[in-house]
Amino acid sequence: MRSRDGNHSFTLSISTIIFSLLYASALFADEYIISYRYTVKDAILYNETLDISKAMQKCSGKPYNSIIFNTTKSQNLKDILRANEEKFLNFLSKLGLDIRYYDTTSDSINRSTTVVILPSKCFKVDFNENFVKIAPLK
Amino acid sequence: MKYSLVLAALLSVASFAANGNGEKREVVSAPSNITIVCPAGECKKSSNALKTEQNVLTAQKDILISVVGQGVAPVNTSSPAQAYALAKRAAIADAYRLIAEKVKGVRIDGQDLVKDMMVKRSTVRTSVAAMVRNANIVETTFKEGLCEVEMEITLSRSQFPQ
Repeated sequence: MRSRDGNHSFTLSISTIIFSLLYASALFADEYIISYRYTVKDAILYNETLDISKAMQKCSGKPYNSIIFNTTKSQNLKDILRANEEKFLNFLSKLGLDIRYYDTTSDSINRSTTVVILPSKCFKVDFNENFVKIAPLK
Repeated sequence: MKYSLVLAALLSVASFAANGNGEKREVVSAPSNITIVCPAGECKKSSNALKTEQNVLTAQKDILISVVGQGVAPVNTSSPAQAYALAKRAAIADAYRLIAEKVKGVRIDGQDLVKDMMVKRSTVRTSVAAMVRNANIVETTFKEGLCEVEMEITLSRSQFPQ
C-alpha cells in the first residue's frame, strides 16, 4: 500500500515553495557600525552627530534586543533611521549611553557642558520587504 | 561659712574633673564613610538612625531614582517644533547627568587665587562620568521655551556584579 508521503516530489515542491516564500521575506542582511553623540552647552543643544557605516570586517557576537521599523522599500539605513529618529534614539538609550559632564563656576559665572555618547557599536540589520530589523551584537 | 564655701567649690571642681576623665569616646565608622566621634553609649543610637535614613540597595529591595532635567530652546530656531525637539534633547542630557550624579557621584575641584591677602579668583570645577542604561522618560513638558523631562531609573542589586 502506498503511503500519503509516497508522493515525495509533491511534498518536496510544496515545502520548497513555503521555504522560499519565508526566505524571500528577508531580502538581505548587513552589519553596520553606528555611533551617536550630542553635546549640550549651558542647557542648549550645541552639536549632534549620528554616524552610520557599513562594517568592513565581520562583527562577532549574537544579536539581542532588536527593534523593527516599517519602511516603504527603502534600503538606505540612514534614510530609515532619519524617518524614525525619535524611536531609534529611545532604543539607543536602552543600550546604554556614556554621560560626561563638566561644569566650571568662576567668579559667579557658570558654564556647563554635557556630552552624551553611544560608543561605536555593531548592529545586524535585516532588510525586508516592508520592514527593517535592527539588532545590536553582543 | 567661709570654709564651707571653699569646700563646696573644691567638691564641684573635683566632680567636673571626674566627669572629664570618665567621658570615654569611641569612633564608629558610618556606612557612608563618615567618621563620627561621640561619647560612649550614644553612638549606637546615632549609627542606627543613619542606617535607617540611608536608602540601601538590597537583594529584596530595588531603588527608584527620579529626576527632572531641564533644557532651553535656542533663540534662532526655524519653527516651534524644532525648538521643542532641541530643548527636549538638552533636557534629556540634563536628566541623564542628574541620574549619573545621584548614582555615581560628582568629582569636585576647587581653586582659589589669593594675592596680597585678597581673593583674586575663585573657581569650582565639577565633573561627572558614568554610563546610564535603561532610564525611562516618564513625562515631558514644554513651556515658554523651557523643556522639562522627568526621567526614572530602577536600580536592582542583580545589575551590579558581586
